[in-house]
Amino acid sequence: MNSTSFRDHARALALAWAALIGLMLASLGSAYLRLGVGNAAVGIAIAIVKSAIVVWLFMRLRTSSATVRIVAATALATLLLLVGLSGVDYATRRSEPAAFEPARQVSSVAGDASPSKR
Amino acid sequence: MSAVSTAPFAPHAAADPARPAQLGMWIFLATELLFFGGLLVAYAYGRTHWPLGFAAASRHTHVVLGTVNTAVLLTSSAVIAFAVACAEDPGYRRWTTRALWLTAALGVTFLAVKGVEYAHEWREQLFPLSGFALADATGAELFFVLYFLMTGLHALHLLIGIAGVAAFAWASGTGRRWSTAARLEAMALYWQFVDVVWILLYPLLYLVQRHP
Repeated sequence: MNSTSFRDHARALALAWAALIGLMLASLGSAYLRLGVGNAAVGIAIAIVKSAIVVWLFMRLRTSSATVRIVAATALATLLLLVGLSGVDYATRRSEPAAFEPARQVSSVAGDASPSKR
Repeated sequence: MSAVSTAPFAPHAAADPARPAQLGMWIFLATELLFFGGLLVAYAYGRTHWPLGFAAASRHTHVVLGTVNTAVLLTSSAVIAFAVACAEDPGYRRWTTRALWLTAALGVTFLAVKGVEYAHEWREQLFPLSGFALADATGAELFFVLYFLMTGLHALHLLIGIAGVAAFAWASGTGRRWSTAARLEAMALYWQFVDVVWILLYPLLYLVQRHP
């Protein structure tokens, strides 16, 4: 790497850092606005953009080999797949949060009349 | 470039060099993403089922310290990326050691600030134990269970990262032959991944609902 390209690279890193700090402040500010469900959407969207900057420029996915890109894409796809499949269960199940119950004896200790032993 | 390698479906050995340190770290980070992913699912479940409790609990996190810590980690990621660039360029290699020590120092700063936050939360009885301060807000205790799990696991990862980066800083300062630019790049990948985890945690833990 010659000194010109090194300086270009260092400048790109500095710009990415400035963008990350700017996005962080935008994320912070948005939380003080009354946006309803938009609060969560904006916060998560900004976090995804920040992550993309780190992965693309700092972690160099931009110039990575095809093999590394496949690993990264597979990781993201697997995460989304598992999150999605978990959501199918939780989103369709009615939840009635119950208080923690203390442990208790369900059947007699003796065992001869215990239905759990059958 | 020879005629063979530009032909369709020719083996592109030169265009796609095998870089085992980077590839290995990416595969490890893929498993780490799924590891933190489980906690993200638990969080999504809690937040969608008890949105008011999560919002009430999130207001009790220390947003100033959390934001300062986010800035500290974002800066450390840029600094370690700079350290890798320096290590790859003979003209700037002497900056590598300093940039790595700075990265480790920023990591220690993050953990110190996190410790101050935990102390605040202990005094305000926000640890999910008996006498939990927000016991009347359903879901608030689950939020703080996830808060301590997520930030605790993140801090553990960062602690490992600090040890690794400090080892590379020491090795590059004393001219150890194992601290090559390629291995340093793999170390930097881990550090930056830990930063990405924090980037995701920041809005989920500190910014659920700050408006009055």
